[in-house]
Amino acid sequence: MARFQFVLKRLLLTIPLLLGIVLLVFLVLKLTPGDPARQIVGLRATEAQLNEVRTQLGLNDPILTQYVRYVGRVLHGDLGYSYKSLQPVSTSIAERLPVTLWLMGFGALLAMLISIPCGIVSALRPNRAADHVIRGLGLVGLTMPSFWVGIVLILLVALPTGLFPAGGFGQTVPEHLRSIVLPAITLAISVAPIQIRSLRASLIQVRGSDYVATGRALGLTESRLMRRFVLRNAAPPTLSILALNMGFLLFGAVVIETTFALPGIGQGIVLAARGRDLPSIQGYTLLFAVLVVAVYLIADIAIAVLDPRVEIQA
Amino acid sequence: MSVADDLTREAESAVTPVELTHERTRLPRRVWVGAAIVGAYALVAVFASVLAPHDPLAQDPIMALANPSGSHWLGTDELGRDVFSRLIYATRIDLSVGVLGALLPAIVGTFLGAIGGYFGGWRDSVIMRLADIVQAFPTYILIIALVFVLGQGIGSILVAFTLLAWVAYARLIRSEILRIRDLDYVQAARAAGLPPRRILARHVFPNVVGQTLVYLPSDIVLATLGLASLSFLGLGIPLPTAEWGAMIAAGQPFIREQWWLSTVPGLVVVGFGLGLSLIGESIEEWSQR
Repeated sequence: MARFQFVLKRLLLTIPLLLGIVLLVFLVLKLTPGDPARQIVGLRATEAQLNEVRTQLGLNDPILTQYVRYVGRVLHGDLGYSYKSLQPVSTSIAERLPVTLWLMGFGALLAMLISIPCGIVSALRPNRAADHVIRGLGLVGLTMPSFWVGIVLILLVALPTGLFPAGGFGQTVPEHLRSIVLPAITLAISVAPIQIRSLRASLIQVRGSDYVATGRALGLTESRLMRRFVLRNAAPPTLSILALNMGFLLFGAVVIETTFALPGIGQGIVLAARGRDLPSIQGYTLLFAVLVVAVYLIADIAIAVLDPRVEIQA
Repeated sequence: MSVADDLTREAESAVTPVELTHERTRLPRRVWVGAAIVGAYALVAVFASVLAPHDPLAQDPIMALANPSGSHWLGTDELGRDVFSRLIYATRIDLSVGVLGALLPAIVGTFLGAIGGYFGGWRDSVIMRLADIVQAFPTYILIIALVFVLGQGIGSILVAFTLLAWVAYARLIRSEILRIRDLDYVQAARAAGLPPRRILARHVFPNVVGQTLVYLPSDIVLATLGLASLSFLGLGIPLPTAEWGAMIAAGQPFIREQWWLSTVPGLVVVGFGLGLSLIGESIEEWSQR
């Protein structure tokens, strides 16, 4: 029951957070230099014409009214029209979102395939040779710009072997899959070091705890201890770190999509920023923020399910 | 988010039992390797005008995309500018934005965290709710949006970094202050009738500010990578100023023939990051002893 209450409380807390985010994005529109009404009527228009358009657009209303109206539009999925393509922003988001989700899904999966074994090896024998190698590589991995890793992969893998395209997303499903491989590897390389680091820290902490010592004293084998107690208790903090790194993963996706010319939402926001396309920037920023809030929410609920101690805190 | 935050902090503050048994107060030797690397980069940045063989902005269309030679050690870019000189001058921009981009948020965050933690009440609530909202955003996405609002350039990048990165420092310092706020010596100062502002500034603050310095090196790495990424996306330092990320982007179309145009600036970024990380890791380990 307490757990259910925690989840409910957590869900309710998301509402003011989302309103705050929409407010921030709304303010971005207000603060950006340039008058939308002036852009419509042109420089030769009289003050009266300008004022008429301003009234039509609702720009003469109190700022609170404008905010409430904006929230209402967003709730209806209306994010305005792109200055560049003149299409609804929501349409271009719908076209681009799947590409990014594929990239992030593949990337996160690969990152886990790298980081879980490495983290376990590192934590089992801290400060030994394998640990030093893994931590050293992790340090290098953290300092490599992901776009540079992508370019190096294009140079060393895509160009000589011809197995993967150097950019683009292709037309058919097999082409999509082939073009997502190198970007996903790039994303995994940039995220895995952070995950290895936190997994190692939490595994070491759990291994040093009293109940593991008790288990060992009772004669449980190391592998059984690892499977039944250590990994289980190290999972929630690792999961939360993975969730907290979502913002980082998303930015990685932005940069990597630009490197590999993938038509995802990351490339979308970059093109919008370069083209000074205000409604698109607003829509994408909102989308990214909502994605992150959603991931935090899912992670917190997953942790509540995995970790009974959360009840007490709720 | 509170659960996730607590668990993260718990995991990150974990110290190896093995490490605890070594009672050493000296910094690990790696720190000097890092300091030597970072020092070399700093010297290059300071003496860029002496070290660079060519003007980083001078174009020579006839010599465009030339291979490395005696006069152009790393060849020339698509506009015939000397790549080696551009790399040297870029060090200036990347280092100064990296250092300022880490230092400014650290100062703002430390200040706000100290106020919130010491005074509590509405000040604390306002600061922490603000922190929640900022943290809910994917930081770099918001940086793109902020740079969009403020216009491209070093100034707006620094403002954007500061507006977003203060949160971690504020949380850190706040929790440190909460820990020592009610210690005996602070209560004694309060009992002696010292004004709150003086207690905070003279007795509490000096004991927590060291925490800020521990994370500064790794944040300089992040700020430098952030700048390079923004410039790579074409949203950072405006052209034609030489910047590492922008140079990598400019070299990408020529990757087949002139592969060094993109790869060498990347190696320069990695070298700087490694030097700073060696310093940062050593200080972090040392501070946990």
